[in-house]
Amino acid sequence: MRPTLVVASGPHLFVVGADPSRALGPFPLDADPRAAASRFETMSRSDVPTRVLAALESVPAESRLLASTPRLARAIAECTGRLVEVCSIEELRRARTVLPPTEATLERRFLLALAHLRLERGLRAPEEVLITLAREEERVERSVGREARAADSFVEVPDSPLDRHLAAWGRARGALGDLGDALRRTVENEARGIVPNLSAVVGPRVAARLVAAAGGVGALARMPASRIQLLGSRRRPSPERGPRFGIIYRADRLVDVPIGRRAAYARSLAALAAIAIRADSHTHRDISSGLVARRDRRIELLRRRRR
Amino acid sequence: MRPARSFRPVTGSPRLFEVVRAERTELWTEAVGDPPPVYGERWTEISDRRSRLFEASRSKLAAAVLRGWTGDLPAPGERWLYLGAASGTTASHIADMLGPEGRLYAVERSLRPFARLLALAERWPNLRPILADARDPTSYAALVPPADGMYVDIAQADQIDIVLRNAELLLRGEGARILVALKTASMGRHRSAVGHRDSAEGGLADSTALVPSVSLEPFHRGHFMVGGRWGRSSRLPARAPGRPASPRGRRPGRRAR
Repeated sequence: MRPTLVVASGPHLFVVGADPSRALGPFPLDADPRAAASRFETMSRSDVPTRVLAALESVPAESRLLASTPRLARAIAECTGRLVEVCSIEELRRARTVLPPTEATLERRFLLALAHLRLERGLRAPEEVLITLAREEERVERSVGREARAADSFVEVPDSPLDRHLAAWGRARGALGDLGDALRRTVENEARGIVPNLSAVVGPRVAARLVAAAGGVGALARMPASRIQLLGSRRRPSPERGPRFGIIYRADRLVDVPIGRRAAYARSLAALAAIAIRADSHTHRDISSGLVARRDRRIELLRRRRR
Repeated sequence: MRPARSFRPVTGSPRLFEVVRAERTELWTEAVGDPPPVYGERWTEISDRRSRLFEASRSKLAAAVLRGWTGDLPAPGERWLYLGAASGTTASHIADMLGPEGRLYAVERSLRPFARLLALAERWPNLRPILADARDPTSYAALVPPADGMYVDIAQADQIDIVLRNAELLLRGEGARILVALKTASMGRHRSAVGHRDSAEGGLADSTALVPSVSLEPFHRGHFMVGGRWGRSSRLPARAPGRPASPRGRRPGRRAR
C-alpha cells in the first residue's frame, strides 16, 4: 500500500496519495498571502485547511501517513488522531516533481511576507536586541565625540549669522548627548540581564560590545580568550608586533593598572571574560563574585609589582 | 562625443554583456528592477535598456566569467537557487541575468545582511528572499520549486556536503547547473588552495559533470569557481586537456600565474 504524503508548498498544501503522478490540491493555508505566511510559520492544528482533512478521510487506516516537515506532521497527527511520520528526502524529492507551480504574484507576496515575519521575529530576540543596541550606542558615541571636537575648534563670532548657527548647533549637540546617555543606560541594563557574569567582569557596556562583535552570546562563548582579547581591534594579528587590545581596552578597571602592565592585564581579563561568557551561555549560574575577586587580586598584583 | 561602447551579449546568457575596452573587459547586466543601482554601482541607459556594471572585484561570478569560465551561466526564464546571498550584490546581478520571467530564490541566514536583501527584493520583482540556513535544505524545500541551477557562495569548510544535500533535494534533475565559489581560506590550513579545489572537485565528480575550474585571482585571493551539470550519466574529464594537475598545490595568497 502506498503511503499518503501531505506536502507544504509555499502558501498551499498538497496531498499526494494513491496515484503518485498526481497531487490533490492546491489547498490554500489562507486566502491572504500574509495570513498564509503566518500560518506557514506556526503550522499548528488550527492552520491545517479543512479541505486537507477531508481529503485525508478517505485514506484507509492501514496506509501510512507522511508529512513534509516535522511541524506539519504534528499538526496533522493532532487533527486526525493518527500516526504521522516525516517523509524521507527521497519521498519528498519525488513528490515535489508532481506539484504544480504557484502563481507568480501570489508566490512573491507570500515569500516577502514570510521573509518580513522571520526577520522581525529574529531581530526581536533579546540577544539580537542587545547587539543592535550596542552597535547603535557605539555609533552615537562616535558622533557625540566628533561633534564635540568640531565645536571646540569653532571660532565664535558675536553678532553674526555664525552666532545663531552656533546656538542651534549647541541645542542639537545637547539632544544627541541625551540620546547617547539614554542608549547607554538601556544597553547596560540589557547587558546585565543577558550576560550578567561578563558584565560584572568587564563592565556592562564592554560586555555588550563584545557580544555584538562576536555576533551572539553563543559565538562569543565558543571563542578562546586570545580572540576575545583582540575582538574589535583594527590591526592584523602578527607574531612580531600585533595588537594587544581590542574592545577590552575600555573595560571597567583597566585605568587602575599601570600603563606598562596593561597588556598583561588584558590577557588575564580576557581569560576571565571567556570563563564568564561560558557561564552566561551554558550554565546560567552566577559566578560573578568569584571572577571579580580574581580580577581585583590580579589588579593589585600588577600595581604592586615593579616593572 | 564619445563613441558608443559596443555591448556584446555573453554566449549563453543574453542579458549579460561584455564591453571590450583597450585596457580591460567590463561586464554589465541588464537591470530587472527600477531604479537600477543597488549598491552604488555605475549604470547606463542605452535605447531603453538599463544596464548595471558587474564588477569582478565585487563579485566572484563576474571574476569567473572574466577568467574564462566555460560552464553554463544563468539564462533568462530559468529558476535558480542562490545559497549565501548575503546583502544581495551578486544576487541582484544573477536576478538580472534571469530576466523578468526567471526566478532567483536567495537563501541567507544572518539577520542584518538579510534585511538589506529583503529591501532589494521589494523592488527587484524576480528575487525571492528566504531567511534560512543552507545546511538544512528540508527547512526551505517548501519554498523553492525544482530549480534549473544553483549558485553557492557560503565559505564553509563542509560546503561541498551542503551543495550535494541541496542539489539532491532541490534541483530539477539531470542537467541542472551547479556553480560553487570556493573560498579556500575558510576551508582550513591542512591543504593548499589548489588542494582544496581538487578535493572539492573530487566531492562533486561522482554526481556532477564538471567543467574546468577557474582561479579567481587577481580579483579574489585563494578563490576558485567550480561546478558543472548535475547528473551521473554525463561525466566529463575534470581537467582541461594539456593542463597538468599540480601534484603540490600553490600556497594560498600567492598569485596563480
